[in-house]
Amino acid sequence: MASTYGKILKDGFLVENPIFRQVLGICSALAVTNLVVNTLFMGFGVTFATALTAFTVSLLRNWIPVRIRMIVQVVIIACYVMMIDILIKAVAPDIHRFIGPYVGLIITNCIIMGRAEAFASQNKPLPALIDGFANGLGYTAVLVAIAVVREIMGFGTVLGYALPARDLWWHQWTIMVMPPGAFFMLAILTWIARARLVKEETK
Amino acid sequence: MNKKSPAYVLAFMAAICIVFGTGISVVNYATQGLLAKNATLHRNGVLCRAFQLDVAGTSAEAYQQAVDAALRTSVVGGRTVYECVAPGKEGVGFVAGGMGFWDRIECVVVLSPDLQKILNVQVLEQKETPGLGARIEEPWFTDQFKGLTLAWNDPQGQRILVGANPAPNAANEVDAITGATQTSMALMRFFNSELDAFRAQYAQPLNLEPLNR
Repeated sequence: MASTYGKILKDGFLVENPIFRQVLGICSALAVTNLVVNTLFMGFGVTFATALTAFTVSLLRNWIPVRIRMIVQVVIIACYVMMIDILIKAVAPDIHRFIGPYVGLIITNCIIMGRAEAFASQNKPLPALIDGFANGLGYTAVLVAIAVVREIMGFGTVLGYALPARDLWWHQWTIMVMPPGAFFMLAILTWIARARLVKEETK
Repeated sequence: MNKKSPAYVLAFMAAICIVFGTGISVVNYATQGLLAKNATLHRNGVLCRAFQLDVAGTSAEAYQQAVDAALRTSVVGGRTVYECVAPGKEGVGFVAGGMGFWDRIECVVVLSPDLQKILNVQVLEQKETPGLGARIEEPWFTDQFKGLTLAWNDPQGQRILVGANPAPNAANEVDAITGATQTSMALMRFFNSELDAFRAQYAQPLNLEPLNR
């Protein structure tokens, strides 16, 4: 049983990573990755919403009418996202002022509905919860990797802290904090990750 | 019960909406006090920074005391006006608001008592793009407004200028934000209209020259 849960975790986090394998959630991956702190809160929001949505959909899977299952999933996702929005606003108002516009957009994040439809609606609650959590973590890890590079190149900081002796050697790449920078980074990361995975699979 | 029947579908949907709607209401109700406290703290913090007030500590009470002691509040023409009465400080401030690129932006603007110069600008609310338009909150941008001379006689109504303009290095010009031209232009537009509106409401006792537009 433990190995099953371990496999679900590994699949969601790495082997079937939502960003570079399933190519889901790309919109927010491009939008919020110019600062690491914004990315961390976005990752927390998506992980929380994906895990709880998957758990709830799995709990209700035997009662949800098939024809309206997607409407039900959207209602569940929207409710969890609104709760996250309110909680971030209450606990971290300064962060909410920056990422507020994107938190609402978690509702339309394909990862959440993708996992609810592909996994949670056909599996028991605990595996569904782990799958949602793993996919949320996989999404967060990729976004943080992109954000670290973009923030360093675009602002010369990591989590708002300036790089050592920044004025002596660092030169700003404004394009890295603009939308094209996100496309470059996402493409490079996807290329590296997929090349590595394909190599492992062919071994 | 037949899961395909319209009655079941309707009842299920209604139950889901009631349960989850109640969940959101509970979370919203439970955090209401915290949200109101955060909003007051944020507003007081922005006012303290805008008027450069001395605050004894970082608590909400310290900010409230600093605002209460240093600012006299009045309502002029439906607009809240803050006048600094702290010893050795001066300035008259108001909240200038208008549409940004994504949503409404609100800034506290502090002018000299004769309304000829901007003493400071601090952003109160904005929902611009993080890392781009949202940089209007950063000190390098807001510091540009300090000491800016307002062009009350500009025939185009350009009391301030943001970004490229026909008269480089004008006394009322600040640099725009790279990658956020629309936010910068929106800020300039509503600043200019709000400054005119504020002057019309507030400046009558000062007996200023009529506006040149």
